[in-house]
Amino acid sequence: MKAIPFDNHSAQRVYNDYIQRCRKATAILSAKDREEVLLEINSHIYEYLCANSTADQMEALLNVLERLGAPEETLREMVATKKIGEATRTFNPKHLIQALALNLTNGVLYIILSVLFLLEIVFPVLIMLKLIYPDRVGLFIHSNGTFLYGYISKAGSGGISIGFSNPARGTEILGSWFIPVSLLIAVLIYIGIIFFLKFAKKIKMKQNESI
Amino acid sequence: MHQIIHCYTKYILYLCIMKAEFMENWHTQLRKGLLPFFVFIILEKKKCYGYELIQDIKVEFDIDVGEGTLYPLLVRLAKEGLLTHQWEEQPSGIPRKYYSISLEGKSALATMKSYAGLIFKKINE
Repeated sequence: MKAIPFDNHSAQRVYNDYIQRCRKATAILSAKDREEVLLEINSHIYEYLCANSTADQMEALLNVLERLGAPEETLREMVATKKIGEATRTFNPKHLIQALALNLTNGVLYIILSVLFLLEIVFPVLIMLKLIYPDRVGLFIHSNGTFLYGYISKAGSGGISIGFSNPARGTEILGSWFIPVSLLIAVLIYIGIIFFLKFAKKIKMKQNESI
Repeated sequence: MHQIIHCYTKYILYLCIMKAEFMENWHTQLRKGLLPFFVFIILEKKKCYGYELIQDIKVEFDIDVGEGTLYPLLVRLAKEGLLTHQWEEQPSGIPRKYYSISLEGKSALATMKSYAGLIFKKINE
């Protein structure tokens, strides 16, 4: 990115400081997205200064920076939106965690997706437990119709579990299939999170239309 | 009696402030809601870069949009596929990011125009 040159030394310092703050505010983005945001901010400052070239340079710069606002505030939404794009494009869990964290305050859907993501951690733990305690981990179906997907302690009560746990131990039906089934569920949940993240805005818009 | 008049004046003043606040809030919400519509209308005529778009919205619709409102909106609309953009090099060495309305955006604009038309028709009935 080409920096804007200023005749006024103080203006140059203020400008450099602002760009530096923008760099920090966009540090979480990929290099390409970050450069694009910085280029656009820089272009906006430049165009404003050109359009107000008759005014004092320092005054004009302060005006445009005031209009742009604090980078940490102004760029928050842009960064959050771009991060979702990165997460859905790359399927990278690191980007997914960052996208969910940045959008956590943007609605209930993001909270639900974050909880689902936390659920993802349960499956590798269960797979490890299945390898250590094969008899205590699995899908237990009880004669009364309730089931437990997870770990049962020696006493018969559920440890890590999904489903309706029953203290009385039922019959384990998956056996060694528990590991591939758990992996499959984890992958499906992951794809589901990405899918909902990708279409969250559209879902929100549809909800608004129906109001 | 004097006290009653004083209380009544205060009450009227309170109502005026409430009304002004309500109207201001309503204006803000309306402007915010209509902003994508204004952006589409301007971009339907020509491609624009961010600063130019702010100036055009000011001239055409008499609304001073903050940069902190417009740029996130442009990112969202581009993500939805309603806008496209391209960087154009300038003699200054500082490129401009030009936004254009996409085919999907044009279709959205047509829907918005017909819906807005319907609403204003109902209001004026």
